[in-house]
Parts: sequence; structure tokens; C-alpha cells
Amino acid sequence: MNGGKKLDGRELVSAVVAEAVRRGAEMAEAYYGRSEDLTIEVRNGEVETLKIASEEGLGIRVIKGGCLGFAYTSDLSWNAVKETIDAALANLQVASEDSFNTLPEAPSSYPELDLLDPALRKVPLEEKIEKTRAIERAGRSFDPRVRLTDRVSYEDSWYQVAIANSRGVLASHQGAFCGGSAVLVAESEGEQQTGFSFQLTRRYHDFDPEAIGKEAALKAVRMLGARPKETMKVPIVFDPYVVTSFLGLLATALTAEAVQKGRSLFVGKVGEKVAASGVTIVDDSLLEGGILSTPFDGEGVPGQRKLLIKDGYLRGFLHNTYTAARDGVASTGNALRASYKSTPEVGSSNFYLAPGKIKNEEIIRNTERGLYLTEVMGMHTANPISGDFSVGAAGIWIEGGELTKPVRGMVIAGNIVRLLEMVDAVGSEVRFFGGRGAPVIRVTGLTLSG
Amino acid sequence: MFSKADLEEILQVAQKGGDFAEIFLEEKRVTRIGCEDKKIERVIAGREEGAGIRVLKGENTAYGYTNDLSKENLLKLAKRVSGAVCENPDASVVINSQKLPVPFPVEKRPDEVPISDKVALVQVADEAARSVDAKLVRQVTVGYGDVVQKVVIANTEGTFVEDERIRTRLAVNVVAADGGVIQTGFEAAGGTQGLELYEEETPWELGRKAANRAILMLKARHAPAGRMPVVLSGEAGGTMIHEACGHGLEADLVQRKLSVYAGKKGEKVASELVTVIDDATLPGKYGSFRCDDEGNPAQRTVLIENGVLQGYLYDHLTARKDGVRPTGNGRRESYQHQPIPRMSNTFLAPGDASPEEIIKETKKGLFVEKMGGGQVNTVNGDFVFEVTEGYLIEDGEVKAPVRGATITGNGPEVLRRIDMVGNDLGFAIGTCGKDGQGVPVSDAQPTIRIPELIVGGILEKEGDQD
Repeated sequence: MNGGKKLDGRELVSAVVAEAVRRGAEMAEAYYGRSEDLTIEVRNGEVETLKIASEEGLGIRVIKGGCLGFAYTSDLSWNAVKETIDAALANLQVASEDSFNTLPEAPSSYPELDLLDPALRKVPLEEKIEKTRAIERAGRSFDPRVRLTDRVSYEDSWYQVAIANSRGVLASHQGAFCGGSAVLVAESEGEQQTGFSFQLTRRYHDFDPEAIGKEAALKAVRMLGARPKETMKVPIVFDPYVVTSFLGLLATALTAEAVQKGRSLFVGKVGEKVAASGVTIVDDSLLEGGILSTPFDGEGVPGQRKLLIKDGYLRGFLHNTYTAARDGVASTGNALRASYKSTPEVGSSNFYLAPGKIKNEEIIRNTERGLYLTEVMGMHTANPISGDFSVGAAGIWIEGGELTKPVRGMVIAGNIVRLLEMVDAVGSEVRFFGGRGAPVIRVTGLTLSG
Repeated sequence: MFSKADLEEILQVAQKGGDFAEIFLEEKRVTRIGCEDKKIERVIAGREEGAGIRVLKGENTAYGYTNDLSKENLLKLAKRVSGAVCENPDASVVINSQKLPVPFPVEKRPDEVPISDKVALVQVADEAARSVDAKLVRQVTVGYGDVVQKVVIANTEGTFVEDERIRTRLAVNVVAADGGVIQTGFEAAGGTQGLELYEEETPWELGRKAANRAILMLKARHAPAGRMPVVLSGEAGGTMIHEACGHGLEADLVQRKLSVYAGKKGEKVASELVTVIDDATLPGKYGSFRCDDEGNPAQRTVLIENGVLQGYLYDHLTARKDGVRPTGNGRRESYQHQPIPRMSNTFLAPGDASPEEIIKETKKGLFVEKMGGGQVNTVNGDFVFEVTEGYLIEDGEVKAPVRGATITGNGPEVLRRIDMVGNDLGFAIGTCGKDGQGVPVSDAQPTIRIPELIVGGILEKEGDQD
């Protein structure tokens, strides 16, 4: 253990836990993460940026007398590891005592998931560059008005995690994903508009560069000539991507952490109707092909599928080990770690609005007059505690069930809970953007300001 | 970590692939403390080190990073990154150590202050917020963070700079509730300073301010919706200037013709009352630095002077392309990112009018006391920002508070229409995101008036009361 041969992930986390206990921790946990990433950016057919990356590190949690401390290091030499354990132990001395601080026990088994596409690591760099160029080509040739590339990129990522704790947890897994994105600019009569598209997938063969390029181009071109309209209340049809940005607000409010700390809109509402009947919201850590699918969470608790809102009724919340202990329930396996640098906080996995019965495009056709909302701006300014939002809005005007002229420079304001109650149509085709998915929905009763 | 000769050797390998090579070494120690429910819940200590190697060939970039800092591994990475661009013959590399101007004195270094003192600051802010109104204040979240970052930057043009950056930050978020209404109030202080900052910006004051704002917003009615004159207070922060103009003046966006300000240098792009400056040399501000993340010295850059566009914010790559000197705005979040042109401390320079006069001369409109976050589409110039504390103006006086407003407008249009500029100036801190990289910035403006902006609120006559 004195810096000779380098340990692999499982060996390292086991050794760290034993050392932390030896140095005085009542309970200890070690989390190891390693990743290798590739990014290719293309502009005008040339590789503008090529990025290769590798990173690894260790996060250590220790508990003593109900107090919890955390420290992390990217330096995995045994001396640095020992210093990091001591830093975590020093931190717990100034932390507040909380009897719910605990670590999970080892489960009987973990689900088996297929997260590593062997094809991905075999594809040569040249082919990935060619696919990136294909995104740009498909977009730029879509329409003569598509004249500029803001950003066209390909990325892939391979990762490995290992976790151990002093209550017997020892697990590891690896996975990979790839994808591409495009932001293209259309130009006409001195006016410029952008269009954006992206796809992330677990399977290299599902990666579709042409579709990404075409979608970004279409979105840019159709916004040319957009104008604001007067202030009014009209039905608003949300594009799936826009729905997923609103789901971000909900995902926070549906964590038990937000509920226990009195900063969720859903405090005390389990069993109550909180949304229109068409609304069902699911968090599924085991979703096949899901970008955030995982056999176990950031504490080593097995992943699972959870119905959070069913047909408008609130069923429950997302938990990690701490919030579960505090509520006297079992963890839902939703302890999320962004990396070895973060503590496992309650968060969503593959989080989506379940499909309804009407075809997505049927919803537009059934709308006499309204806005097809394709873009919101400033979503990060929405208030996850009160649920109030007020965001910049752009889209296409619907007249007689048809998409007509583009609209931009408007604002929609409201409250996320009221919005859920105002959903009067839910489409049948769910589209995923990374870890969030949704179909088209229609909301009637929001104010559109211009 | 590495000798001058080691760095030269690594650069020599890297530059075989291009016409410029650079190494950025970083060692970072961070502390974070989180308090909620009156409990010190998170106490985090982190150490992180890594290196980024960049090779440029013409306008193309190859970048690689690793946190395995053995010389052997860095030579391997240099070879991989250079191979990613092309093959060049050998050429020797000589770097020379440079001294940095602008000293930023730090009195109480965060790595020399015991963690218990930092916890005490957090607890004071928590108590202060709760003391405002024990009944209405439902939750208080206090976050403290400090960073001691050591960097070594060397490149094949001979640059060899070592620097240490120290930053601290304290933020308070308060949730107040009354009946079914929930509102929040936020206040933060931060700077390239040690813990001496909190003797001036006391945690007690920060906590009180955040709680008072949340409580005030409980009583506020919904903001009106539609077009109206807007007066932004000198205390409001500089989010609008940052979004409406700052991003569009970053040279990468300009060169790709993705900015409404592209090709407009020397032209009148704003009202004569408008002068916009980016200044990384301001001592102690959150967006300040002595040198940027490419080793270029920090400077003060006049972007717009009396309405005329003077220039853009440059990093090495964009400056090279335009044949100008970099303005010292090449910044990166960490060794994991390539530098890109970024703002530092950006502000609209003060004018002559008194803030009182500006309000008095506005018959009806919205007075923005505090702005929150924002976003801009630089291609068409449309921006939004949130109002976290706002009031109606009626007959030249500030009247009832309003909540839930977001303001939208078009950058170039707003700059042309600003018709009153006050003689005050107030800074606010933030983390600015671009291309997936967050960097600390501050921005500021005096009290200003824009004759017409779109306020997104809720139509009153149709209900939606809560």
C-alpha cells in the first residue's frame, strides 16, 4: 500500500474504506470515477477542435457520531489518499449532528444492464470525424439560406465507477454513450436566426448525423421573419424539447430533499391530484437505452423504476439513503453524483412525461389558434421553490390547425403547478434529450406577452 | 511541479503538430460549506490537479487533458495532441519567466483560516435571515465556497507565467411563505479576496437583505404584462449589459458572424450616453485576475465609447486571426477546457443624471431594484433577464412591489434607446456560462432608463390570482 503498483477501481475503494475506518471513521464510503471523453467540432468541413480527455478521482464520505464529512482528490497516490481521508474526518468535526446520516447496506443483487456498446470503442477517429462532417453537410445543404455554422459537434464518453462502504457494499460498472449536436444559422435579408438539435445515444448505430443536421437547419429557416404578437391568452402547444426544460423544475420539486426542507411545491400532497388527468411522470433508472440508466446509484443502491405522478395524482418522491432514513422508507436509488467531486444528492435519472393517446401532430391539427412553442429562453431563472416562471418565448403561430408564421421576442409567465393543471392534451410519441423525455403537450390558459 | 526544462521539453513535443503549443497546469484546493435547516450539512474539502495541452494549427485546435501529472504521461499526451493536428519538424522551444503586474493583496488567505471560522460566517448569515421574521421565513440556505488555484502557463511563444488566484463567495437563499404563497430572496457577495471581504460585506447584512427581499415579494402583486418604460436601479446589477451587449462583443462570436455586432467596429451602435468597459484589473472584484488563462496580462478594455463600438474581447486564437493583440480575456473554467474569449468585470460607465431625477421623469413604468439571471441569443440579439425585486412607477414615484417579471428585449435596440444614465454604479457577482464552461464574473451599471421593454407578467383582468 505504499504507492507501488496502481490499484484498480474496486481494489482502491475497498482499501480506502478499510483505511478510513482504521483512522477513526464509524462508517466510511469511497467512490471512484474514471472517464475518457472525445469531442470533435467541425466548421465548414474542417475539424476546428479536437479534444481528448481523461480524468479520474476519488470521493470519500465518513460518518462519526452522526456527523458527516466529505473530501475528494484527483491525486490517487496513497499519501494524497490518506490526507484526503483526514480532511474528510476533520470536516465532520464542524458539521452538525444528524442521526439520519447513514450508509446503505449491501443489496442481495444488482440489476444487469447493457450500458457498454462494444462498437463504440472500435470505431476509428476518422470515421467519427466523417460523421461529424455529415451533420454539417446535411444541415447546410438543407436550404440555401442556411449559411453559417455556429457549432457542430460529435462527442463520446466512456466511464467507469466503483463504490465500497463499510457496511458491505462493493460494486462497479462501466458504460459509454455518444451523440452529436448542431446549431446552425439561417440568413435572409440581413436577418439571422439559429436552429438547434441534439441526440445522445447508448448505441453507436443509432447515432443519426443527417437527422441532427436537418432538424437544426429546419428550425433555423422556419424562424426567419419572426415577429412578436400582441399580449393575449391562447392555447400553447409545447414542443417535446421545451417540455423537457420544464421537467427540470419538476424533477427538483419531486425530490424528498426539497420536500423535507420545505422547498417543494408538493409538500403534503401525496395522494392528491396535482396535475391534469393526462399527466403521468416516471423516473426510470433501468430504462433500456437510457442515457442515465445505471445498475446502482451514487451510494451503491440498486436502480429502479418509479411512478411519481400517475394520471394526475402524486404518488411519491425520489430518495437517497439520507432522505429515506428521515422519512422511514427505502431509498429509491436516486443518489446522484455528477462526479467524484460531488456528494450523492437526490436527483432524477431518466425522467419523463409518459405518452398519451393522441399523435403529436394531431395536437397541432386540433388547435384552432395558438402558439407552437419551440424555444424558451432563461429557463434557469425559473424559481424551483415557488414554481413561478417567466421565460422568453419563440415558436410558430398556429391558425386553423396549421403552422403558419414564426413568432419571437415574447414572454410566457405562470406557475409550474398551474401549468400541469392546464395540460389538456398529451401526445403519444416521447422523445428523449439526454436524461429527460416528453411528447408534445398542449396547455390552455397561459399569458403570452408581447 | 515541473522545471522550466521539463515544460520546454513537453512543448517541444506538442508543437511538432502545429504552429503554437501551450501547457496549462493547475492545482486547486477548494472548500465548500452548506447550511440548511439550521444544520451544517455539507463540509467539503477538495484537491484537484491536472494539465491541459493545446496545439494550434492555423485556426484549428487540438486539446487534451489529464490529471495524471507524471512527466512521462504529459509527454505521451503532448504526442497524442500534436498527432491530432499534423506533423512538423523539430524546433527548439525557449520560455522565459514573466512577472505579473497588478498585485491583488489577500489579507486572510482561506487556506490559513480554520474551517470553524468559515462555519461561523455561515451560521451568522443563517441566524440573521431567520431573525428578520421567524414566522414568515421558512427555510434558509447558506453556501460558502473558497478556491486557491495555482496555475503555470507556458507556450511556444516564450510565455512562462505562474500565478495564484484566490476567490471566496458567500450566498444566502431565503424561502418565505405566507398562506399558499411562497417566495424567495437571494443575496451573495464574493471576490478575488480572502475572508477580509466579509468584514465589509457582513454575513449578517447578507442574511437580512435576502430575508427582507423574500418577505417583500410575499406582499407583491403580479407584474403587469406588456410594453412599458423600465428604470434599472444602480443597485440592480449588470445582467442586462452582460447579456444585451457583453456576449455579442466576444471576438469568437464576432468572427463567426454569430453576433449582431460583427463588422460594426467604428460605427455608432448605441446611444451617445453609453460607454461600456470590461476591466479585469479592478482590485478584489469577483471577475478580476492578474493574468488570463493564457498568461496574458489583465487589462481595461473600452468596448463602446459614447455609443461608438471601439473593439472586441480577444483571446490568443481570435487575436491572431484578426492580427491584433489579445485583450487578456482568454479564460477557462479549469485545465479541462480550452480558453475562449470571456468577460471579466463588465460595466456601463456612469453618466450625469441623479437616480432620483430619472425616476421623477418617468410617469409610468417598472422600477427594477434587483436583477437575477439572464440569457442572450447573440445571433439575433434577443435577451431575457429576471427581475427579483421590482416596483411599479406611477407619476414619477416608486410605488407597489411586483413579482414574477421577466424582461425581454433586443440588445442593439436597447443600447440605442437608453435615454437616461445615472451617476451611480453598483456591482453584482455571478457565474457566466458559455460553451459549457462557467467562470466567475461581475457586472455593473448606473441607474438607467429604457423607454420601452417587454415585461412578461400575467394579464390581471383575466384572473390568475393566488
